[in-house]
Amino acid sequence: MTSIGTGYDLANSIFSPDGRNFQVEYAVKAVENGSTSIGIRCKDGIVLAAEKVITSKLLKQGANKRIATVDRHLGIVYSGMIPDGRHFVDRARDEARGWRDNWKTPITTKDLASRMGGYMQAYTLYQSVRPFGITAIIGGYDSELETPVDGEVGSGPSVGAGGKVAGKKHGGPFLYMVEPSGLYWGYYGAATGKGRQAAKAELEKLDLSSDGESSLTLEQAVKEAARIIYVAHDDNKDKEFELEMTWISGADGPTKGRHMEVPEALRKEAEKYAERMTAKDVEEEEETKDSGDKMEE
Amino acid sequence: MFRNNYDNDSVTFSPQGRIFQVEYAAEAVKQGSVVVGIASKTHAVLVAIKRNAEELSSYQKKLFPIDEHVGIAIAGLTSDARVLSNFMKQQCLGHRLTYGRNMPVRTLVDMIGSKAQINTQHYGKRPYGVGLLVAGVDDHGPHLFEFQPSGMTEEMVAFAIGARSQMARTYLEKNLEAFADCGREELIRHGLKALKESLVQDRELTIDNTSVAIVGVEKQEDGTTKPQPFKVYDGQDVSAWIESVADNAEAAPAAAEGDGMDVDS
Repeated sequence: MTSIGTGYDLANSIFSPDGRNFQVEYAVKAVENGSTSIGIRCKDGIVLAAEKVITSKLLKQGANKRIATVDRHLGIVYSGMIPDGRHFVDRARDEARGWRDNWKTPITTKDLASRMGGYMQAYTLYQSVRPFGITAIIGGYDSELETPVDGEVGSGPSVGAGGKVAGKKHGGPFLYMVEPSGLYWGYYGAATGKGRQAAKAELEKLDLSSDGESSLTLEQAVKEAARIIYVAHDDNKDKEFELEMTWISGADGPTKGRHMEVPEALRKEAEKYAERMTAKDVEEEEETKDSGDKMEE
Repeated sequence: MFRNNYDNDSVTFSPQGRIFQVEYAAEAVKQGSVVVGIASKTHAVLVAIKRNAEELSSYQKKLFPIDEHVGIAIAGLTSDARVLSNFMKQQCLGHRLTYGRNMPVRTLVDMIGSKAQINTQHYGKRPYGVGLLVAGVDDHGPHLFEFQPSGMTEEMVAFAIGARSQMARTYLEKNLEAFADCGREELIRHGLKALKESLVQDRELTIDNTSVAIVGVEKQEDGTTKPQPFKVYDGQDVSAWIESVADNAEAAPAAAEGDGMDVDS
């Protein structure tokens, strides 16, 4: 690390002569040590999944949730420093509630990502605070339906935040990932935490960007999400883990537009599939070892 | 001499992405005397070792009631614990006033979690130097939570924090399966046995240095359940429990039998 000893890395918001903010880079390190989280956007919904490493046998099983509901149609999963993540979720809930109060309509995933990106960025600006030690994945399903605005008088606006443009497609599933710098992008498949490299490699193999026949359905995405968490956990095999998954479909799908936990039966099925597939992978690993190393880049 | 430049405040990340001030605060918890908590299907208990500064001084309290249905055990800086305890009491009271019922334990624990997290992200603040075990009952039954200075809160089946608490945790892990179906008395005995594991050599549980607290739901004879408010027991009230886990408690009947057979002496 060339940064050490220069003094430019001892406080937040300080630029080094070559234009870097080291404290933000160190915050990213905190994320990279955290357990893996992923998000998948497929044509009919969103799946969020988290690997929860079991740090103690004394933890109550299934009691400590890592994926949070922010609004009825929005979920957030994060990797890195868990208390920072909870704070982030609290803020996201405030934003979502504030938006509803103001605009009488649920916040869109894009707008929430923008608000939260701005919030994270603000923590890189001052010496009096430190950046967030998390990367968060925000998933949401914005309603395609003509939703009457709460307390609406008259017809409301025909365009803009409260209105819809006739003939244009509105809503759908969306996925964003926000980094400690405040940077955020929209994704088809997002991964962060310790196992992100392996997870990304797997996500890239899925057909998520087309709307065609071959593209993944929500139920397939749940199974793939489970498998990817299992694959990403592979390097960390000596530690046990719990898999947590949530999903969001459209109004006519299984969750009726809400963010909720994947039902136990489906989760168990997905875990069986994941176990089967990862066991198969081990056999093939020997042959593909060379190309596997290149993926690390 | 090697000097760590990254540990002066809680707003500086080390190159590895660690925040040393928070880790040091976690060390403060290990300076406190040990506390143990266990939850079953019907009860949650807290047991603690109290310390006295000197022979003639009183013992520092370790268990504090928060509301009718919740209480805490502390390890670390007592004054920091008092701040958190006051905050928790206020929140519970406020909740009772607005909603007319007990605050869910998870909600309460999340609140101190967020409060503590802020202290780890702003300059001029320091993390709390105390760890808590929070025991309580709500609509979902008894709960036990652990709170750390980092703001991390986790629900546990059983846990121990404080000096030499690893020994107690080992005991708890060994007996983990048994806890769920334990009754109130059995749960306390498990707690005290775990506590004894963490005791320094030559020290033992006495009525002066041992505290016990219980909260739970008791099954009535007609099949309905009734909440049993959080209650702390000290002094003479804990003597029977201490005796029941004394080293010679189980051996005593066997010894009596042996006496009868000891004809040679």
